[in-house]
Amino acid sequence: MWIFNTIIGTIFKILFLPFQNMSPWIGMIFVSLLTGLLMLFIYKYTSNQEGIRKIKNKIKAHLLELRLYKDSLSISFKAQGSILRANLKYIGYSSKPLLVMIIPVILILIQLNFWFAYDSLKPNQSTLLRVQLNDGVPLLDTQVEIKAGSGIVLETPPLRITDSNEINWRIRAEENGVHKIIITADGLDYTKSISVGQKDLSRISPLRTRKNFFREISYPTESPLPKNAPIKTIEISYPPRTMNFFGLNLHWLIAYFALSIIIGFSLKGFFKVDI
Amino acid sequence: MTDLNRRDFLKLGLTAGSLMALGKGSHLLSNGSGKIDTETKVIILGLDGLDPHLMNMFMAQGKLPSFSRLRSQGDFKPLRTSDPPQSPVAWSNFITGMNPGGHGIFDFIHRNPETYIPAFSGTKSEGSLKTITFGNTVFPLSGGEIINLRKGKAFWQILEDHDIPATVFKMPANYPPVPSKQRTLSGMGTPELQLGHPNRFHYFTTEGAEINQDLGGGQVHDVYVIGNRVETALPGPVNMFKKDQPESQIEFQVYIDPVHPVAKIQIQDHVFILNKGEWSDWKKVRFKMIPTQSVSGICKFYLQHVGPGSIKLYVSSINIDPEDPALPISTPNSYVKELGKKFGSFHTKGFPAESAALDHGIFDESEFLALEDVVLKERKEMLDYELSRFDSGLLFYYVSSTDERQHMFWRLMDKQHPMYDQKLAEEYGKTIENIYIEADKFVDKALEKTDKDTILMVMSDHGFTSYRRSFNLNTWLKENGYHSLVNPWKAGDVGFDNTEWARTKAYALGINSLYINQKGREAEGIVNSGTEMDNLVYEIARKLEEFTDPESGEKPVLKANISKEIYQGSYSNTAPDLIIGYNRGYRASWATPLGQIPENILEDNKQKWSGDHCMASEVIPGIIFTNKKITAEAPALYDLTATILEVFGIEKPKDMIGNSIF
Repeated sequence: MWIFNTIIGTIFKILFLPFQNMSPWIGMIFVSLLTGLLMLFIYKYTSNQEGIRKIKNKIKAHLLELRLYKDSLSISFKAQGSILRANLKYIGYSSKPLLVMIIPVILILIQLNFWFAYDSLKPNQSTLLRVQLNDGVPLLDTQVEIKAGSGIVLETPPLRITDSNEINWRIRAEENGVHKIIITADGLDYTKSISVGQKDLSRISPLRTRKNFFREISYPTESPLPKNAPIKTIEISYPPRTMNFFGLNLHWLIAYFALSIIIGFSLKGFFKVDI
Repeated sequence: MTDLNRRDFLKLGLTAGSLMALGKGSHLLSNGSGKIDTETKVIILGLDGLDPHLMNMFMAQGKLPSFSRLRSQGDFKPLRTSDPPQSPVAWSNFITGMNPGGHGIFDFIHRNPETYIPAFSGTKSEGSLKTITFGNTVFPLSGGEIINLRKGKAFWQILEDHDIPATVFKMPANYPPVPSKQRTLSGMGTPELQLGHPNRFHYFTTEGAEINQDLGGGQVHDVYVIGNRVETALPGPVNMFKKDQPESQIEFQVYIDPVHPVAKIQIQDHVFILNKGEWSDWKKVRFKMIPTQSVSGICKFYLQHVGPGSIKLYVSSINIDPEDPALPISTPNSYVKELGKKFGSFHTKGFPAESAALDHGIFDESEFLALEDVVLKERKEMLDYELSRFDSGLLFYYVSSTDERQHMFWRLMDKQHPMYDQKLAEEYGKTIENIYIEADKFVDKALEKTDKDTILMVMSDHGFTSYRRSFNLNTWLKENGYHSLVNPWKAGDVGFDNTEWARTKAYALGINSLYINQKGREAEGIVNSGTEMDNLVYEIARKLEEFTDPESGEKPVLKANISKEIYQGSYSNTAPDLIIGYNRGYRASWATPLGQIPENILEDNKQKWSGDHCMASEVIPGIIFTNKKITAEAPALYDLTATILEVFGIEKPKDMIGNSIF
C-alpha cells in the first residue's frame, strides 16, 4: 500500500511543483482542469454516448409535449411518466462512467486534502501532538516519551486521557522546515514529520497511522507505523485552511468541485462529449 | 437587577442587551474621514487617572524622563476636572467642551424619577418593536437601537464638518460611538458580550465550597472531575430569539492528567493544552441563538490550578469579537475589523482589567497584573500602528491601565489604608509608580512622532487619591430625618425597596448624586419646588459639610455643590439637586449608587479597590502636559476642546463653555 501511496503522492508532487510559490488558487485551477478533462474522457469512453444523446432528446421532446398540451391532463400525466422513465434510463447510462470515476476521484480528493486543507505551522506557533495507543495497550502503564528534534520545543508534560487511550502534548515550532519528532513507546522509536513555514502550496501530513488498509488509503502522506507498534496514530493539529474568494472563505472541496464542473461543462462541446 | 451590584453596575454597559441579536446599531457608516491635509497636527494622549501630585513626585525623582522633556518643551499644569470627577462625566466634558448641564451626563448612574429605579447614564437600548413569535421562537422584524445619551456634538464631529481627519481610539463615554465618518473606537462604557453582567468572569472549580459564590463581578461554577474529564458549559448572552430568554451557552470539556499539572480544553473547534498557571491566547466562541443566528465573542482561559481530581479554571469576561462585532463599537464599522485583522483579537470591552477577580480573591496580585500587562502591550502596539499612519488632523489615543492599576493598588502604597499589607506592599507597593513609568513610554512614542507642526497634549480626566472610608449617604439621610423606611429595623436594599416615600425628603443614587423627593417631579414627591426645595437643598448641603467622622475627626464631605449653581446648559434641569464632593480618603460607599441603606453611616473600605477619584473636584485634578506654553491659569477639561478647535482655526460653537489654553 505504501508503494502505491508513494507513487500517487509523487505524481501530485510533480504536478504541483511549478505552482508551489504561487497562490493556491493557481494549483487548484490546474488540478481542476486536469480532473475535469479526466472526468470528461472517462465519461466519453465508458458511457453510451449515443444512448445518452437519444434519451436527452426524448426528455426534451416530452418537456415540449408538456408545454404544448398543458390543457390536457391525460397527455400531461403521460408525458411526465415518460420523462420519469427517460430520467431513470439516463441515470442508468450515467452510472457506468460514475462507477468508473468514483475510485480515481476519491484517490484524487484524498491527495488534494493534504495539499489544500491545512496550513503549515508558523514559527513560534504552538499546536497539539496527539498519540493514540492501540486498544488494549494500557495507557498509564506504557512508557511513552517524546524527543523533540531541532526547531520543535515541547511545552507541556504528557496529558493522558484514558477515555480515548491517548496522550497529548503541546509543542511549539521554532524554525521553518520539515522537522521530525520522535516518540518512544515500549523502547521503540517512531517518528512523525512536522511542517513549519512551508510554501503556500505544500503537502501537509497531519496524521501517521498504523498499518491498516483503509487508514493507509485515507492518510497516504507518511509511511505506516509497523503493525505491531503499540501506537495507533500520531497526529499533529495543523490550522485548517480555506480558499479566499474575494473575501469569502471557501472550503477547498467547494472550490475544487465548482471549478471541475465549470471546466468539464465548458469543454464538453470541444471534446464532443454528451453528459 | 438581581445580579448587579456595586462597582459592576458602574462599569456596565447595562443597556443594549437585546440589541446584540436583533440589530447592529443605528449607523452603518461608510469608510473614510476628513480629507484635508492639515499643516498643524494634534496628538492627544488620554492617560486615565494620572495624578498631578504623583506626577510631580515621580518627575522630581527622575523617573519620568519623557514627561519631563515634554514639560521642558512646553508646560505642565493640573487640569480642572468635572463635577463630579467621574470618568463618564469628565470625558463627556472633554468630548463636548461643555459641563454636565450641557451634555447631560451627571453621574455613572441616573434615575427614573417616576420609579426611583437607577439607570445607566450613558446608553439606552430599544429592542425591536415588531416581532413574530412561532412557539418559543421570536423573530424580530426590525433592528433594535442602542442610543448614546450624551448630548452635544463631539469635537471630532465638528472637525469632520470642516473636513479635518481624526482618529479617536477608545474614547471613554462614547458607546455606542456617535455617528461619524472619522475613525473612532469606543472605550469605557463598551459592554462585553454578556450584557447585563458587566465584567463577568467565569470560575469553574471543584472547590466551590471554599469561596463565596455571590460574586458581583463573576460567576462560580461547581464542576466535578469524573474519570479524568470535566463536562461543563460557558454561559453567554441572553437569547432574545427565545420567548423565555434563556442564557445561551457553549458546552465544553476539560481533560486532566492523573499526575501532571496540565489540562486539555475542548470548546467548539478549539482544542488546546494549558500548563498550570498558564493563560491561553484569545479563543473565538460562537453562541448559537437560533439555527441561522449566532453571536461571536472572544475570551481567554486561565488554568489556575489542576491536580488529581481537582481543577480551577478561570474564563475571562467575553469581549466583543473585533473581527465580527455583535454590537456597534467603531465608526466606520470597518475600523474595528481592520484592527482585528491587523492585530488579531484584543480587549474590546470598556474596562479591560479583570478587577473583580482580584477584588474577590479569585486572583492574586500577580495574576491580575499578568493579564493587565497583556492589555498594556496591546495598547502599545496599537499606538505604534496609529502613530505610524498619522499624518494629518488629530489623533486621540486612550490608555486605561493607569486608572485601573491605581484603583486596585493604592492600598499598597498608603500605610493608612485599611487594606494595607506590609508583605504585599514589599512586592507590589511600586505597581502605581511602575504604571506611571509605563505611561512615560507612551509619551516617549508620541514625542518621537512630534515635529514642529505637531501639538502634543498629554492629559488625564482626573487625579487619584486613597479611598479609605465609605460614606453611606442614604444612611446619613435616614439618620438626619430626610429619608424614612417602612420597616426601620430592616436595612434598605437596592432600588429603595424599604423606603417610605410619603415621608422621604431626599435620596441618594449614583456615586455623587443626591436628589430631593420633589412634588411633581418624583412619582411620590413631597417637597414643593421653590423656596421649600431651595431651603432643603441648602440645609442638607450645610449639614453634610459640617458632618464629622467620629473616628478620624475629619469631615467626609468637603463640598456639597448645589447643581443649579455649578451647571450651565440645556440639560441643567435634569441634574441631581446636590453633587457631593467627598474629601480625600472618603467616597460614597458601594451601597449608595444603587440606593441601599446599610446600618452605619461610615465604614472602612475593606476592598482591594482602594484608590479612587469620585471625590470633590478640587482635591482630584487631572494633568495637562503640552509642548506649547499654557497661558490659561487654571485650565479645565472643557478648555481642551476649545483649544483643539482653535488650533485648527475653527470657531467654537456657542454652547461650548471652554476657552483655549494657549
